[in-house]
Amino acid sequence: MRKQPIRIKHGKNSDFPLSIEVLKQKVKEQLQNIPDILFQQYQIQEKDILIFYIDYQINKKQLDDSLLDTILNRDIQWSTDKILNEVPIGNGTKQTKIDKMVTELIAGAVGVYVVGEPDAITYNIAKQEKRNLQKAETESLVLGPQVSFTESLATNLNVIRWRLNTHDLVTEKFIIGERGQSEVRMVYLKTLANDTDVQTMRQRLQNLVVDELEDSSILSQYIEDNSTSIFPQFYLTELPDRLCYAIGKGRIGVLVDKSPTSIIAPSTFFSFFESTEDIYMRWNVGSFLRILRFVAMFISVVVTPTYVACVTFHYEVLPTPLLASLGQSRAQVPFPPIIEALLLELLIELLRESGARLPTKVGQTIGIVGGIVLGQAAVEAGLTSNVLIIVVASSALASFTAPSYIMGSAIRVIRFPLIIIAGLIGLIGVTLGICFFFIHLIRMTSLGRPYLLPAYPFNWKDMDNSFFRLPFTLSNTRSTSFQPKDMRRYPKQKAQTKKDIDE
Amino acid sequence: MEVNHVVKPNLQIRAFYLFFIILNIQTGLGILGAPRHIFQEAKQDAWISVLIGGVIMHVVVVVMVIILKNYESADILGIQVDVFGTWIGKALGTVYILYIFGVLLSSLINYIQIVQVFIYPQMPPWLLGALLILLIVYTVLGGFRVAVGVTFVFFFLSFWLFFFLYEPARLMDLNHFKPMLEATPKELLFGSYQAGYSYVGLEILFFIYPFIENKKKISMPVHAGVASTTILLLVVTVISVGFFTSITLEHLIWPALSMYKIIEYPIIERFDLIVVTQWAMVIFPNFILFAWLITYSMKRLYGISQRKVLYTIATLLLIGIIYIKKQTIISQFIATISNIGFIIAIVYPVILLPLVLIKRKLVKMKEKSK
Repeated sequence: MRKQPIRIKHGKNSDFPLSIEVLKQKVKEQLQNIPDILFQQYQIQEKDILIFYIDYQINKKQLDDSLLDTILNRDIQWSTDKILNEVPIGNGTKQTKIDKMVTELIAGAVGVYVVGEPDAITYNIAKQEKRNLQKAETESLVLGPQVSFTESLATNLNVIRWRLNTHDLVTEKFIIGERGQSEVRMVYLKTLANDTDVQTMRQRLQNLVVDELEDSSILSQYIEDNSTSIFPQFYLTELPDRLCYAIGKGRIGVLVDKSPTSIIAPSTFFSFFESTEDIYMRWNVGSFLRILRFVAMFISVVVTPTYVACVTFHYEVLPTPLLASLGQSRAQVPFPPIIEALLLELLIELLRESGARLPTKVGQTIGIVGGIVLGQAAVEAGLTSNVLIIVVASSALASFTAPSYIMGSAIRVIRFPLIIIAGLIGLIGVTLGICFFFIHLIRMTSLGRPYLLPAYPFNWKDMDNSFFRLPFTLSNTRSTSFQPKDMRRYPKQKAQTKKDIDE
Repeated sequence: MEVNHVVKPNLQIRAFYLFFIILNIQTGLGILGAPRHIFQEAKQDAWISVLIGGVIMHVVVVVMVIILKNYESADILGIQVDVFGTWIGKALGTVYILYIFGVLLSSLINYIQIVQVFIYPQMPPWLLGALLILLIVYTVLGGFRVAVGVTFVFFFLSFWLFFFLYEPARLMDLNHFKPMLEATPKELLFGSYQAGYSYVGLEILFFIYPFIENKKKISMPVHAGVASTTILLLVVTVISVGFFTSITLEHLIWPALSMYKIIEYPIIERFDLIVVTQWAMVIFPNFILFAWLITYSMKRLYGISQRKVLYTIATLLLIGIIYIKKQTIISQFIATISNIGFIIAIVYPVILLPLVLIKRKLVKMKEKSK
């Protein structure tokens, strides 16, 4: 917590006792004279009692039922201790400093002061507006739990507790932010998560000094290993089941108050192409989908640059029939292939961006107008060739298969430098560009662990958790890459016992 | 300078990566031109020469492992200082560095030349050279683990090229191998000697030994690596001899690449172009490992920071690429490097072995007498 300036008055430790008028004035002064602070004054058995709170920050029902009901309906000569004793709200605290008390008021407390007493009382009965749990929007699923996190940390923790109802679950609390403070929770399983990872994450959160934390995606950028890279190093998810699955495998989750996305760390490059749906599906279908996504990524990155390189420099690679039809469709196009490709890629990016920004109803129309009408018109006007439209559209489509939106965007962006280098020096440029990305991936780490696990450092046992899936009878361990404290999920022999004719 | 070099555990690698390091560093560019050189000496019995070469390499590996096992965790630089004393040892170490620089420069020039011949006759060599050197610098700055990672990952990204040789293999004429066993032993040995350039690189084992995590298990992966190189070279040589007529083969500089020319698919007509570009991934680990070796050795011998050495060799490489242009000079250069490589990689360990053993014995006797 940021230290408030302490003002020393009359050389005493306590600001109380005060008269009602002085107290009112001081509280107002501290709150920059906002009009929302309410004071209610009562006189019971010759004792003046002042109750004050910020109107919209508290739960009115609790105020009426618990606090006012008790104080007004009993004929007692109230004192601070008696109120603490009688009022049925658990978190009453004595306050001797006005500034501290005001901080509590801002957080949603109601203050009670009995004139003449040496301290006031605050009860935290905060009211927090939040939306209800809803279906996941950015990471939509066909199978499995549909619920997604909300902006309220309390709700999110509640959902996690609901899924992981074990006393093993640790939810470490951090307060981050110098100006506007946010509560951050590090969530992991005590008997599973790797101690080094937990310590690294704790250290990074503790050492973070920022003015304020707007969102968990910003927190993940603050605590990343390599902030210059285009690739995200922590998986951001809005799905509680995905987060809990990762925690259950020994990884660490980070939740930020006011943010509906959680951070999973450490994450590997390949985990950005995994969807929880792969596990909900049967293993063979799940494997197919996972491999499909890798193929899609490859297509998305390589196809357009290769087209540009071949059409600009290496006609001889294309067989004659293909070359003839390609030449025919390119005959009208006045630009070199690199300009043509960049133009179309730009068009597709514009469509995607405008579709994302516009309201859903208009967005669909834009998609149709842009996709069909513009594409057709561009070909007929002789600005681009038919073949290129197919190439660009398929690579754009392929890039949307990545379950992580951030990774999908990264893949779309790395196409542009590749297209440019392909247009400048041809296929060798594409190869060198791909070499560069692989070297970059090999150099990267996530929370100190290699980013390209389990491909390098090579880990045979983890292949089935990242590149494909095996049936549960064969895959009974957690992934060794993250070195959890307990490797085994369930005994293998028991899983393999067949219940058939031999019984 | 300490004879033994203890490496931090987080920089060490498991022994099985040695397989990929050895295979990758030996395959490089030599394999593209080797069939022709071997064929020139041993004619249709070239395959026997390859096998003889393979056996010799296995013997060399055994010798190297014996030398290394005499020390706890030493590399060749430390061993030379131990055997010959500081001055001669360091001088020999410097010779090693110069030789490795020569290999690095020659393979860079060689690859750029292949790209020029097959794809872009007009492209200035410095352009591709500068791009490659930038990538080398970026990788080597990541350290040894990244270098090994690149070797490992690129192996899987480029190994599929090898399988496409089935097309020329299908078209082989087995009559090209007849009459068998015609070459004299001398011709066969000269054939093996000509295969030398593709066996160069084995000496890396001498340098990275301290970086191996489980040092007891190094023999298996290294032997497997050498055996795989031999098999690869054997397959390429056999297919080349079977596919080309003797007159053609003697005039092809890169028979292996020329064989890829006949592969044709409905969407790709010139497969050799793909191979030449993809070969960057085969050759790139060599560049990185050799460049890393130079920086590491300079630090070990003279204590110069690896970063400075790296930038210096990058500049020198670029200068070399710009000034060495003539085909005759390049061929001469590669031939010289190949000859020196033969001495350093194969002859030298065999000479070093008795010296190391004598030295060790002397040390032990001294300890006993004390």
